[in-house]
Amino acid sequence: MMLFFQQWRGELLKLFARRRTYLGFGAFVLLEVLILWLIKVKGLGPVQRAIVGSGESMDYYFSALTVSLIVVSMSVFFLGALYLTLVAGDIVAKEGEDGHLRLLLARPVSRFRVLLLKYLTCFGYAFFLIQFLAWTAFVLGLVLCGWGGGFCVLIMDMDIVSFYEWDEGLKRYAWGMLGLGLSMTTMASIAFFLSCFPIKPAAATIGALSYLLVDFILRNSGFMESYQHLLITRHMAVWTRLLAETIDWPLVVRGYAVVFAANITLFSLGYAVFESRDLKS
Amino acid sequence: MALLEVKHLTKRWPTGRLALDDVSFEVQEGEILGLLGHNGAGKSTIMGITLGMVRPDAGEVRIGGRSVQKDRSTALRQIGAIYEAAHFYDYLSGWQNLRVLCSLSGWWDEVEVKRVVQMVNLTRAIQQKTATYSHGMRQRLALAQALLPQPRMLLLDEPTDGLDPEGIREFRELILHLRKHHGLTIMLNSHLLGEVEQMCDRCVIIKDGKKVFEGTVPSQEKTRRMFQLETNDMGLAREVMDRTGAKMDKHGIVEVPMSMEPHDLVAALVQGGAQVQSWQPHRRTLEELYMGLSSKS
Repeated sequence: MMLFFQQWRGELLKLFARRRTYLGFGAFVLLEVLILWLIKVKGLGPVQRAIVGSGESMDYYFSALTVSLIVVSMSVFFLGALYLTLVAGDIVAKEGEDGHLRLLLARPVSRFRVLLLKYLTCFGYAFFLIQFLAWTAFVLGLVLCGWGGGFCVLIMDMDIVSFYEWDEGLKRYAWGMLGLGLSMTTMASIAFFLSCFPIKPAAATIGALSYLLVDFILRNSGFMESYQHLLITRHMAVWTRLLAETIDWPLVVRGYAVVFAANITLFSLGYAVFESRDLKS
Repeated sequence: MALLEVKHLTKRWPTGRLALDDVSFEVQEGEILGLLGHNGAGKSTIMGITLGMVRPDAGEVRIGGRSVQKDRSTALRQIGAIYEAAHFYDYLSGWQNLRVLCSLSGWWDEVEVKRVVQMVNLTRAIQQKTATYSHGMRQRLALAQALLPQPRMLLLDEPTDGLDPEGIREFRELILHLRKHHGLTIMLNSHLLGEVEQMCDRCVIIKDGKKVFEGTVPSQEKTRRMFQLETNDMGLAREVMDRTGAKMDKHGIVEVPMSMEPHDLVAALVQGGAQVQSWQPHRRTLEELYMGLSSKS
């Protein structure tokens, strides 16, 4: 076990020693600042209408938590998907393309272990990135709105409208972000799976993004109403249930079971592909 | 005792091209074996199969009696390798690269790593990012990672490719030092005949995926007695050769059988009526052997 952690540390070192990793984090902070500025200038949009429409006080619910949730949702939509698939798509394919895999696999280590280390790195990175995003958004929200106030949650496609006091809201926000982090691991898993094929890293990223986009469009198009259970983005959205006033735990458990089953399946299929490959330039 | 056994390897690429066709040979403990062949002959494929990175359609490779195809991790514990060009993580230092690679072997001993780094003459640069390394430094780092942790055998895939003459010489001396002082067994894959000739005890020549020669490198041959004959009548000389059991090729290179002394053969030539203009010891080169095999096939 100790050996496994040592090897994982090596994999993490490779990821976090790259300047690009930090450029990505920087890009996220910039995007968050931009979204925050837009919120300051344009207001909260539909959330504002929901607050006013519900007869609640706009001053009270225009808080760091409400703002953070909007910032996180938009950041994940605009940049999170791209960045997660970029890193996960790179992790095997780029190493294959650059010849690093041949260096690694000349050591007495199984392909399974090498792949598992890489997958766990992807998984951990996806989770960590979302937490970074969530809590930098919260800090920026605090800068804009200060400590305290209410927390308004409006997630239209899941029919969730909730209002919380600060303490409960903070707890829900933390739960929601943990849930979002877990959901996003599936996005990384799709890119990781494609990365196991002998293809260009960009192809893995584009393939994963395309799949998610099509899935998302189908989910929202109305044509797939009776097939929603087949769409992965539907299951990934289970994190939003943690923000509902009454948490439907069986639904949450089922959603995360599907998310984890998808992750394990994608890893297993990726491994099967990787195991059968000849690694030669 | 054979440390590496390559048994009946056959590999066909998905494109249909036959990369290896029933190739077998052995590498004895303590020897340096050169794997020779033209580009695309199948040398790197043999290396790839030996490291478990390429799957053979038939046959297997055993290292120290362990099958790479059945028990790769255990088999590879006995070897260190430079397979194709060594691509390090350029954003990591040489030291960090070694650390990452050694962690995959489940081993790290700072004192030993420092010793090997010193041996490959990289002590001053080891904390620098490998992006700043010259090709020669990369090759030395590649050798360092192959030597960690203390393998019984080294597999070197065209290790001097792209090195300048000084670098080649330095690398060659290092390899010979490793064999002499550490008793390492080495399989060296190259298309540079001079390199193989100077470093190897034996060689295997691969042509179009087939083994066409396995034996002692000519320069290392101690038992064969070869002479260059110049005479005014090659036909007559050939008749004498046939009678005495000596062999002569079209260039007048004569191999004298062990059953007779060279001066007896010269006497027989003179008695047979041939005018011997010149008779000089000849050392067959690997190039002659290689070209001879090429022209035959």
